[in-house]
Amino acid sequence: MRHLVLTGVAKAYGPTLALRGVSLDLRGGEVHALMGENGAGKSTLIRVLAGLERADAGEVTLDAAPLRLTGPEVATAAGFRFLHQEVQVVPGLSVAENMHLAHRIPQRWGLVDWGRMRAAAAAALTELGIAGIDPRVTMADLGPGDRMLARIAATLIADGGPEPWLYVLDEPTAALSHAEAERLFAVIGRLVGRGAGVLYVSHRMDEVMRLADRVTVLRDGVTASVLGRAAMDRDRIIRDMTGRDVDALFPPRAATVGRVLLEADGLAGGSLALRAGEVVGLAGLAGAGRNALLKTLIGALPRAGTVRLDGVAVPPGPTAAWAAGIAYVPRDRRAEGVMLGQGLGRTVSLPHLGVLARAGFLRHRAEARLVADSGAAVRLKARGPGQAVAELSGGNQQKVLFARALAGRPRILLLDEPTRGVDVGAKADIYALVRRMAQEGAAVAVASSDLAELIGLCDRIVLVRAGRPGRALTAEGLSEAALLAAIYDGEAA
Amino acid sequence: MALTFSRRAAVGLGFVASVAFAGAAAAEGERIAVITPYLAQPGTQFYVEAFQARAGELGWEVNVIDTAGDVAAVISRMEDVVNQGVDAIVLNVDPAQVGAGLDAAAAAKIPVFGMDAGADARIQANITSNGYAMAAETAVYVANRIGGAGNVVMFTFDPFPPVQVRGVIADAVFGNYPDIKVLDRITPDVADGGIADARAKMEAVLAANPEPGSIKAVWAAWDQPALGALQAIEAAGRQGEGIVITGIDANPQARDEIAKGGNFEASVAQDFAGIGRTTADTVARVLGGETLKANVIYVPTKLITAANAAE
Amino acid sequence: MGHALRSYGTLIGMAAVILFFWVMLPDTFMTARNWINLSQQMSMLIVVATVMTVVMAVGDFDLSVGAMASLAGVVAAVLFAQGHGIAVAVAAALAVGLLGGALNGALVSLLGILPFVATLATLTIFSGVAFLVSDGKTISGRAIPEAFAGFARGGIVLGGGERPLVLSWLAILAFLGVALVWLVLEQTSYGRRLYALGGNMEAARLAGIKVARLRLTAFLFTGVGAAVAGLMYAARVASANPTQGDGLMLTAIAAVFLGMTMTRGGQPRVLATLAGVVVLGVMDNGLTQLNVDSYVREVLVGAIILAAVSISAIGRRAVGMR
Repeated sequence: MRHLVLTGVAKAYGPTLALRGVSLDLRGGEVHALMGENGAGKSTLIRVLAGLERADAGEVTLDAAPLRLTGPEVATAAGFRFLHQEVQVVPGLSVAENMHLAHRIPQRWGLVDWGRMRAAAAAALTELGIAGIDPRVTMADLGPGDRMLARIAATLIADGGPEPWLYVLDEPTAALSHAEAERLFAVIGRLVGRGAGVLYVSHRMDEVMRLADRVTVLRDGVTASVLGRAAMDRDRIIRDMTGRDVDALFPPRAATVGRVLLEADGLAGGSLALRAGEVVGLAGLAGAGRNALLKTLIGALPRAGTVRLDGVAVPPGPTAAWAAGIAYVPRDRRAEGVMLGQGLGRTVSLPHLGVLARAGFLRHRAEARLVADSGAAVRLKARGPGQAVAELSGGNQQKVLFARALAGRPRILLLDEPTRGVDVGAKADIYALVRRMAQEGAAVAVASSDLAELIGLCDRIVLVRAGRPGRALTAEGLSEAALLAAIYDGEAA
Repeated sequence: MALTFSRRAAVGLGFVASVAFAGAAAAEGERIAVITPYLAQPGTQFYVEAFQARAGELGWEVNVIDTAGDVAAVISRMEDVVNQGVDAIVLNVDPAQVGAGLDAAAAAKIPVFGMDAGADARIQANITSNGYAMAAETAVYVANRIGGAGNVVMFTFDPFPPVQVRGVIADAVFGNYPDIKVLDRITPDVADGGIADARAKMEAVLAANPEPGSIKAVWAAWDQPALGALQAIEAAGRQGEGIVITGIDANPQARDEIAKGGNFEASVAQDFAGIGRTTADTVARVLGGETLKANVIYVPTKLITAANAAE
Repeated sequence: MGHALRSYGTLIGMAAVILFFWVMLPDTFMTARNWINLSQQMSMLIVVATVMTVVMAVGDFDLSVGAMASLAGVVAAVLFAQGHGIAVAVAAALAVGLLGGALNGALVSLLGILPFVATLATLTIFSGVAFLVSDGKTISGRAIPEAFAGFARGGIVLGGGERPLVLSWLAILAFLGVALVWLVLEQTSYGRRLYALGGNMEAARLAGIKVARLRLTAFLFTGVGAAVAGLMYAARVASANPTQGDGLMLTAIAAVFLGMTMTRGGQPRVLATLAGVVVLGVMDNGLTQLNVDSYVREVLVGAIILAAVSISAIGRRAVGMR
């Protein structure tokens, strides 16, 4: 059985100590979860393992022999394989070609031997029990889940080098639907069955609880705990990650719910009403149209019906929606939310420039005050409004978008995956903030694929299928299993 | 001096100094700036090189500045060298386009000379070839060769002043022979220099005048239409009729044709090297205190025929 | 270290270049007369680079500015030749600039053509029209009104007696242009929205910014600015030909890039662009005075641009290591 041991690994970037003494013990045949808040050192540790960073101190042994991770080629030779949440593929090439990107391409007479290439790809896919991916189709036609599976399968194609045995999966399910995630889990099972080890890096507690044989928890660059299955417990892990208790992760629900603020119809034949003081969850499988539903409400997608706020129709287009008091936190904050290279203040004030200008000229002090106040309200940690968004952690980037949303004192708050890629501490802040906005009279809609989040945060959960809002469930007392079953029921019906 | 120079160079971009200042420290003689947007053109290179050769004999330091076609940059560079305090400026651009630079030089009392540039009151002298004389040479050559009688086809281009004057002279010469008739006065499309369109136009003229002897000569205001006319005549198989063709400028292609002894019989060569040398001599005269009477100085041109085309 | 390099590398380099010329040309470089010359020489480039900054703030760029400058000059000159007055000719040239800018903007923002492709095509069109309008000739001499050419030579007399020091109208016009664009980009909500487009177009759309309309308007700046520069050029050389402004385009883009190496986050900013123009202008001016060969000068200017951008890139990488 293969055995990788890291002891006392440290790494500093200038004055910043990213890793202060991390130990990790990984065996073939196990799923080993790695957890920690953003900034705890997970990414740095992965980069050290991949040979992309050289540790300043510490020991690494592979099967009891010292291993000097001096470069990516060393990591590859040691049998390590790394898969990130956004899998790098060449969309225009076929699956079989993509699976051979890192391999010698089979040739005959100096030409590509397409038959052998496809056969090798098909064999690898079959080995992992992945039926249904045709090696001949174009990568662009596959969903994100299948792309990842194809990439994993590609590592099984023999290339004459040492056989891969350690798979490092970094937030692999972040972009996947439930069904896709299930297929990934099955593949992980096959890999482990073949004797491989999996280092599973995730924020998602339910996945870790289900998959992992052991979990290593990092906090502030050191290994906080290593827990076996018996000791693995949600609260314990969160306590080890954050150094505090988690009872208060979700704030208490609304005592009373007010009148209807927003009514939308013509939503793929359905309608949706949001009430003041209420947090409404939108649940559904990936591709069920939760994202499109929110984009329709903010006016970024064309509407079939009307959206009324306080009974008054909101004209089409995002400009009118923001002006009417509807705020939106998009799902993909880097692509749809922030201006990464610019000072964070510019992202915060962007939808509110009309109010901040007099005769077209910006009132800089009013803008500074708006940014400072809303930044403080979301407990944003940054050097100042001029700090580039790109320099902030994922959680703080998300807080920039929340600051932007609440800076306009919105009546309606539309949140799409509000805690995606956000650490536990920032999650708690965001949940509290959402609830406070609701208490102050806003109506909130939250689309999320994190079932625990939907149940813990929301008052009511609306099931979305094919873009149509359907049955509503009361969140209080709902179990994740029951919610998941409801989601699948809706899909089957 | 050399010591302070090297200490200064070390302060900033030392590499610039080592690359670029061959002459800066050695400047004892007169400093002359030659500014042109057209250094890439062959004629310009000839006179600039001849100017530099003569200037070398005179012990001058010459700074040749090419603005790569940018006329406004000529003004900018004139302002720079005026500021630098050169002793004279030599231009190779239409003075009308660089008036601001001429004003700057005049204010600083720096003399400006034209090297095939054009006349202007603020220029001491423009040294060039006599366009009137060149046209007269070829027009008279044609008239003599055809015995003062017959039909002549002219290729001219009036929109461009230096070429326009050539046409005026040829008109006068042919007009002075009662038996010479100008069959056609053609302005070819000059997008490619004029060869292709002149050939097409000449083919039409040939088709309209099929009788042998109905065209005695082709006079072209520059070489390209002459070459086009020659191609048309050869393509029509009428090279045996003794049609006389002349051009002006004597470019290499024209010289080749003239040397063959065919229909293309004559052209006129400007003495580019002579222009460069004469410009340098003129600068020397003015710097020596002489006041010039004429502000245009012509350098003699040379008729090129089969006898001397290969020179 | 990386941060200092990235933020100040180009500024330090600029100071070094100026210091170098100052030391090498103690009598002539750091003089009021020389800098007044410089301001006049750089004026057209300043205008084009300034408006180029606007489209580059949006994340686009405009290759057609040089051809538009040529076209505007030719349009004015042809109208002069037909006997029209200065007001008519200038208004017509500016209108052509506005129309050309609107065409570019419509192609990029309404039809969604890549700015590189769209403005490369309009570059060719503008250039072709300039040749058509002028018959390929240089229009000069008496056709150009004395008052028009005189504008480029006149200015505010600052003193100097026998050889008066004159801050030229061209330079004043250029600085007014910089001030105007600075106000627009830095002080108005409109300018802020333009930067938002450049930062993240989709995010701007979802934040309620009217992307297509705004993106189009940015090209109006380059169209009109290029036309202004073309008129300035025509006045300075008292003539117009269909290619005379062409060289402005690449130099303007180079100036904006140089400026971007000085700003936080590598944003195109007006004052930084002005600094970029100064670097390029000072190089031409100083190296000419040092009798450096024209072609060596070009190599050096290119090398300086590369050095600035490389230092900035290295600085960024050093910062991005975290």
